[in-house]
Amino acid sequence: MNHGPLIFLAAFFALAGSWSGFVLAPQLQVGQLQQTNTLGGGATYPQARSGLAQQGLQVYRANGCATCHSQQLRQSGTLCDVVLTDAGTNQPALIAALLTLKCGTVPTEAEQRAVIPANTNLPAAIQTWSEADAKQMLARLPQPVRQGMTKEQADAAAKTLTAAGAKAQIWIVPVGPDLARGWGRRRTVAEDFLFDNPVMPGSQRIGPDLANVGARLPDVSWHLRHLYAPRLTEPASTMPPYRFLFEQRKLGPAASPDALALPAPWAPPPDYGIIPKPEATALAAYLASLRAEAPLFVAPLTLPVASAAPAKPPAP
Amino acid sequence: MNPDATPSPSLLSDAAEPHARPTPAPVWLFVLLFLILYGGMIYFDSHGGSFNPQVYAPYRSLAGLTLYQPPASGPDLARGKAVYENVCGLCHNTDGTGKPNQAPPFAGSEWVLGSLNRMIRIPLLGLSGPIKVKDQEWNLAMPNMGAALSDDDLAAVLTYIRRSWGNQASAITPEQVKAVRAELGNRNQPATVDYLNTIAP
Repeated sequence: MNHGPLIFLAAFFALAGSWSGFVLAPQLQVGQLQQTNTLGGGATYPQARSGLAQQGLQVYRANGCATCHSQQLRQSGTLCDVVLTDAGTNQPALIAALLTLKCGTVPTEAEQRAVIPANTNLPAAIQTWSEADAKQMLARLPQPVRQGMTKEQADAAAKTLTAAGAKAQIWIVPVGPDLARGWGRRRTVAEDFLFDNPVMPGSQRIGPDLANVGARLPDVSWHLRHLYAPRLTEPASTMPPYRFLFEQRKLGPAASPDALALPAPWAPPPDYGIIPKPEATALAAYLASLRAEAPLFVAPLTLPVASAAPAKPPAP
Repeated sequence: MNPDATPSPSLLSDAAEPHARPTPAPVWLFVLLFLILYGGMIYFDSHGGSFNPQVYAPYRSLAGLTLYQPPASGPDLARGKAVYENVCGLCHNTDGTGKPNQAPPFAGSEWVLGSLNRMIRIPLLGLSGPIKVKDQEWNLAMPNMGAALSDDDLAAVLTYIRRSWGNQASAITPEQVKAVRAELGNRNQPATVDYLNTIAP
C-alpha cells in the first residue's frame, strides 16, 4: 500500500464527481420545481391529487405495479399542422394559394402521431390536388390543409394563406412511437411527477404505459373490473388478477351499488357480490388521476379538442 | 504420477520466460481516443440542451423549444377575468352590472363598447365628476386602479370587459395600452367626461 493517500483521493473524486452529476446537479435544477401555468388556458398545473388518489399511490407502490408498468412517455419529434380556420372573402386568391401549397393530407409512416385528424374526402396524393378539392376543403372549416411540416415550413404556408385573406392556425403535434400507440399526446416532463412521492417512472413495459391512463380510461369502474379480472376488460392482458383487493360478500335485500358488474365466468354465486376493498377503490382513483397531457412550455402541443372549434367571432 | 515422464524442454528452458519491458504506447491509440472524445463532445453539445432543465428531448435548445410554442390564439380572457375579479369586480360587480352608489355597469355601457382610446384612459387616470352611463347619471370618484397594472394585465382585463356579459367589442392589445400610457406621461389628475370627449376616438 505505497500509494494509500493517492488511491483514497482518486476514489474520493470519482465518487464525488458522480454524486455531483447524478444527485446534486439534478437537485439544483429541478429540486425546487413549482406548479406552472398551462399554455393558453393559464390553469395551474399539476393539480394535487385527491386524498383517495394519494392513498392509491401507496397501493400502487405496495403492489409493485411499477415493476411492469412505466409512467414515462417518449417523444421523437414535433410537427406542425397548418389549419385553415377562416376562408376570408377573396376565394379565388385563396384557391390559388391552396394550389401553390399543394395542400392535402399526407400522414406518412414516420409521423407516429397520437391522433390522425380526420380529413375526409380529400385526395391522399398531393399530385392530384385540384381546384375542385380546394373548393371542397373550403366548404368545411376549420380544416387542416397541410400536415407534418416543420415550424419554418408551417410559418411560410400560414403566411401564404394569410396573404390570400384567409386565417390560418398552426397546430403543434408531438409525434413518436409511444404516442402512436395511443398512450398520450406528449412526452412526460418533470412537472407531471410533482405530487408523486415516491416518483415511480418504472423501467419495464410488460404492461402498457400508465402516464396518461386517466385520460385514456377515465372510468373508475373499468379499472376495478380490470383489477379483479384483467382478461374481462382486455382479452390479451397478461396482468395477474388482484382479487385480494376485493371481497365476496353476501348481499342484503337491496343490490349493492359498489358490487362489480361481472359476466358469467367471473360472476359470484347468486346473492353474493364482489365488493372492492378500500385499497382497490384508492388504486382505481389513483389510476384515473394519472393525466399527463396538459400543454406546457416545456412540452408544447395543441389539444385538438380545445381548439378544433374556436369561438365563432361575431358577424361583422 | 509417472516418474518416467520427463518435463517438456520448454518448461526447463530459461529463454521461454516472459519478460515485461516498458513499451511506448502507440500513437494511433491517442489519435483514436482524441477522435472519440471529440465526436462525443460534438454530440453532447448538440443534444445536451445546454444543461437547461426546461429543454427535454426531442428539443435541442431553448430557442428550438420557444419556436414550437403555439402562437397565442386571440386575447387571454382567463387572465383578464382573474385581474377583473381582483381589481374591478369589488365595485363594478363580478357580472359587470355595477353597484348602485358605487360604480356604473359595464354590460352594454357605451363607454366600454365605444372608443378604445378613451376607455384605456379611465383606469389609468381614474375618473371623477358626472358621467352618463346607459341613460343614468353617476357622480362618483374612481381612483386610478389600472395605473399599477402591467400593460399585459390591463389589456387583458379591458379586453375581458369588452368581450363579456354580452359585450362584443374589439380586443385591446398591450401595445395600445403602452402607447396611451406613454401619451399620458406624468399626468396625475383624474379624467373627466369633458377631458375624455377631447380624445380622438
